[in-house]
Amino acid sequence: MSLKKSLWLALLGGVCLTAGSALAQDSGPLIDLLVKKGIVNDQEAEDLRVALVKDFAANTSAGKLNLSSSLVEFKLSGDLRMRYESNAQVPELATGAAPLVNETSRQRFRFRFNGDVILQKGWNAGFALETGQSNDSANQTFTSAADDYGVYVARAYVGWSPNTNWSFVLGKQKNPFYTTEMRWDADISPQGVSELYKYFIGAKDTFELRAMQHAMEDRAEATPGPAGRDTWMFEQQAVYTHWFAPGNLSSLIVAAGYSAYNQSTITAFVAPNSAPYVGSVRAQNYGTLAGEVNLANVNGAGTAFKIYWDSSYNFTGATRAYKVYNLNPAVFSKGSTAWLAGIGYSYGTGKVQGDYSAKLDYREVGVTAVDPNTNDSDWGFSKTNQKGLKLALTYNVTDFVNFNVTYFDTKIMQEKMTFALGNLNRSHELLVDLVVKF
Amino acid sequence: MKKSLLIFAALVAASTASAQKLVIKGSDTLGAKLVPTLAEEYKAKHSNVSFEIAAEGSTTGIAAIIDGTAQIGMSSRRAKTTEVSAAQAKGVSMKPTIVAHDGIAIIVNANNPVGALTPRQVEQIFAGDITDWSAVGGAAGKISIYTRNTSSGTYSDFKDLAMKKRDYASSSQKMAGNEQITSEVGKNPSGIGYVGLAYVHDAGIKVALIDGILPNKETVLSKKYPYARPTFYYTNGEPTGEAAKFIEFTLSDEGQKIAEKIGFVSVR
Repeated sequence: MSLKKSLWLALLGGVCLTAGSALAQDSGPLIDLLVKKGIVNDQEAEDLRVALVKDFAANTSAGKLNLSSSLVEFKLSGDLRMRYESNAQVPELATGAAPLVNETSRQRFRFRFNGDVILQKGWNAGFALETGQSNDSANQTFTSAADDYGVYVARAYVGWSPNTNWSFVLGKQKNPFYTTEMRWDADISPQGVSELYKYFIGAKDTFELRAMQHAMEDRAEATPGPAGRDTWMFEQQAVYTHWFAPGNLSSLIVAAGYSAYNQSTITAFVAPNSAPYVGSVRAQNYGTLAGEVNLANVNGAGTAFKIYWDSSYNFTGATRAYKVYNLNPAVFSKGSTAWLAGIGYSYGTGKVQGDYSAKLDYREVGVTAVDPNTNDSDWGFSKTNQKGLKLALTYNVTDFVNFNVTYFDTKIMQEKMTFALGNLNRSHELLVDLVVKF
Repeated sequence: MKKSLLIFAALVAASTASAQKLVIKGSDTLGAKLVPTLAEEYKAKHSNVSFEIAAEGSTTGIAAIIDGTAQIGMSSRRAKTTEVSAAQAKGVSMKPTIVAHDGIAIIVNANNPVGALTPRQVEQIFAGDITDWSAVGGAAGKISIYTRNTSSGTYSDFKDLAMKKRDYASSSQKMAGNEQITSEVGKNPSGIGYVGLAYVHDAGIKVALIDGILPNKETVLSKKYPYARPTFYYTNGEPTGEAAKFIEFTLSDEGQKIAEKIGFVSVR
């Protein structure tokens, strides 16, 4: 064997040994090069290929997987969160009733496991499993040591993007809207059909039209009238994203939308949910306006300052207050508006050890101003008729471990309301989390 | 009488003991013309050997080796990782032997004015990005795509070699063998398909130049032709017995001359 041939074969062996068997099947180009240079002949090359494949199949985990040829990418991810939670709720009581403070302290955990696949021809699909049956929280409280805890399907969707402009998703899916938690709890995965049209303006700017037909509840059609009609929420939104300069990470986002329900009804309260369903979807016609300004590198490379806002107005708020909540419209008709204004500061993207971020927002949420079925369960316990602050701090202990602290404090906006949805005089909550992501 | 019966029984036993049946399954590219011709020549020299040849696609040939239902599996593609793994799980050691080289020729109707394509155009046509002949310099007309079926080694080889592993256009029509493709393209002025070199002389078709290169012995062996590939016999480990002798015959001067005569490129 010539020295040159020996060197080439040593190189191939070295690649396989140092890069590991998992790379054996990727040695095809190197084998082809050996053939081309006359180091091995075609038959020797084939024997080598089979030997490498056998080694790959026998000695690696990847070699034992048999994945569909239609698969372009299969991503598995998830996180595990350990939480300490302390909160207090002081209900608004009828005149003369004894004062009451509900205090809770508990240890909780959340496990989430996601599978997302990209298929050929623009198709994709995915699922998410998580602890917790509630749509707005996957937390499980550590209860009795005799207990085990359930796992539920939080997402199951199929998507199709025929081109770069259009995409459609069917099933229980990630929220397709630009929004803050004021209107949409971040844990909720809506179910139904969503459509996105993205129009590119110049190098990076985009104008998007987003819509979703959200199947809120399957009703028994045998029941006459709206109570027997499946419940659908229809939301649509226009989102404009502008980048201040090419290569500059500073941006402006403005999103305007409208959402409404069909004439139907909904179960009064779904037990595990923090969000109190209200037994009626009547008179919910929301106009929304949200957005943010991101200023990059304001305090050195990697830093960012952010101003963000959200707002919602129920065009039929007075009707809802009177017809659904049975409130005096002369007093409570003012509760049709909700708004949020916040600031944020961050270093890094939250993916590298040492990255951190802080967000602080103030909100006022009128009693009929947002959909109580979807709003934030980690602010005022999903109740409306509240105003107050929310602070969120995050620090990356490692690239994959986060330490988070969240605190909110709310007070009642319009007093003397004893209706369940808005009867919180004041509340606060402290959440301390350790999150491991994989 | 008793003596005659004994002699007859002994003769039957002897003939049964020496009769050999070679079961060969797999690739249509190899099994439609080359292997039957080799088998005939081999039988002429070894009268005690019979053949059972089933040419239903490379996948079936590799599966037959894994299942132990054939001594030789014909394949126009390499065994996949999952097939080698499945074989190992059953204690089968896949052993490839290159029997001839081949080029996957792109064929169009003989009356089609288009006689040359680029690799990019080939990919776009078979993936469905280009649907009209006018986009590649031909007369306006919807392109009819003919491919092999999914058990064919040529089907998967072509995806690897010509289509960057993309999927075929949904409008493509899947044919059972090379001859069906040449027949359809020969009848359809808007047709395009691919076949092994053994089938490029069928009536009504012509071979398209790819980047100015035609598939032939020189371009296939030098791999200048982009869709060149080896073809294989697969066995369970080193071949033995009659299978080893038949493979030896295939690789002999005589066997390789037969391969060249049929249209393949000799391994020598």
